[in-house]
Amino acid sequence: MIQIEGLSKRYHDNIVLEDVSLNINEGDVIGIIGPSGTGKSTLLRCIDQLEIPEKGTVNLGEKTIDLSKKNKKDINEIRQNTGMVFQRFNLFKKKTALENVMEGLIVVKKLPKEEAKKIALEELAKVGMTAWANHYPKHMSGGQQQRVAIARALAMKPRLILLDEPTSALDPELVGEVLDVIKEIAGKGYTMLLVSHEMSFVRNVSNRVIFLDKGHIVEDGTPSEVFEHPKNQRTKDFFAKMNLMNQPDYII
Amino acid sequence: MANLFDFKLVFTQIPDLLRYLPVTLELSVISMLIGIILGLILAIIKIRQVPVLKHIATFFISLIRGTPILVQLYIAYFGIPMFFKWFNAKNGTDFKVAEVSGFVYAVIALGINQSAYNAEFIRAALLSVGEGQIEAASALGMTYLQALRRIILPEAITVALPSLGNSFISVIKGTSLAFTCAVVEMTAQGKILGGRTYRYFEVYVSLAIIYWVITIIIEQLLKAAEKKIAIPEQVANYIPEDEVKA
Repeated sequence: MIQIEGLSKRYHDNIVLEDVSLNINEGDVIGIIGPSGTGKSTLLRCIDQLEIPEKGTVNLGEKTIDLSKKNKKDINEIRQNTGMVFQRFNLFKKKTALENVMEGLIVVKKLPKEEAKKIALEELAKVGMTAWANHYPKHMSGGQQQRVAIARALAMKPRLILLDEPTSALDPELVGEVLDVIKEIAGKGYTMLLVSHEMSFVRNVSNRVIFLDKGHIVEDGTPSEVFEHPKNQRTKDFFAKMNLMNQPDYII
Repeated sequence: MANLFDFKLVFTQIPDLLRYLPVTLELSVISMLIGIILGLILAIIKIRQVPVLKHIATFFISLIRGTPILVQLYIAYFGIPMFFKWFNAKNGTDFKVAEVSGFVYAVIALGINQSAYNAEFIRAALLSVGEGQIEAASALGMTYLQALRRIILPEAITVALPSLGNSFISVIKGTSLAFTCAVVEMTAQGKILGGRTYRYFEVYVSLAIIYWVITIIIEQLLKAAEKKIAIPEQVANYIPEDEVKA
């Protein structure tokens, strides 16, 4: 079980997260939804200490780590236990798909090259990118880059995978292939936090949904609870707006 | 008027000048290495905003870029021995500064001069590598130094190479001032030859030709290097080994 306790983050006077606590069970796929600017991405980035929160702790099973302190050893431990998938893929441009996936295994896990290559090829196979192993990011479409990025995160065998809007930088026609990959790994028992605006996908793939508004968790339950019977007025408004947008322009 | 300009001499004395080409190249290469390493350190200090050191770096770059290289060479050649003489007298040490050759002072001055310029090129190149890749490296658990070596530098080199090439060309020409530190390189040898024959003008024309040819060669080498480190346009699909055998 992974516990996040009392996470608070502000930029100057702007409160982004306020005292957010979250218990994550092993194998949970948690969808995080909510309006823009409510701290969904910040929540993930604080867990990985890409942003340093004012306060908050994370417990990855053995010990509780203070996220507000820049302790190199702790940061390292968190980062080795979490994998991050970014909105903009962030593949290493001067490395091939294979080298991208091998990089963490060689540099961080200090695996011998042959072994790293074996693992990397397995992970690339899982996301259907084996044939592209020798290609550089600039040769790939956004969807393919994101699939490699997912393989790169999975190769490190993280206990928690953080997906930060993995499809929002993609062309609509490429979203599907990435969602398919995420759905496949979600079925394999990985623990995941997924920030996404793809509502139907979140509903489909996660077993728990969190609605974040102004830095607070205002809704927390199974997808059907949150999507069908939201308790909070803010959530109801949000879905109402969403449905309005989904309506056709004309009805004959 | 027959001997106003000795056209033949311009070419016949080139081999005589080329005997000192190795000195010129040694000066250039070592100064450039110092310039790159020191420049990289200065660039990282400025990017990482290291307290105190960043102010020293800014001051240093401003000072070096704001003074002529000729003056820097004189200061290195006369100033460093003076400092050690004073240091010896004060602390009772016995550094034998008189035995240090002018080559060392020239290399120090040229290297430091280059570092100030390179620092800005390298800084811009390092900053051109997207923040996203650095975050991705951190998220994998890499330290800044690991990310620097494995991710940032390989990409930054592509950006920095043309400017560093320029820098190298200018350091080669800068070595022609090393005579101030009593180093005999090509230009110094030219002055000596000119002193013998009073054909100074011809010597300078010969030197111009040599430096130009060297620069052309370096430009070509740089072009080849740029091509080599660029990401290939096309790559073949990967075929797993067991399928290759089958």
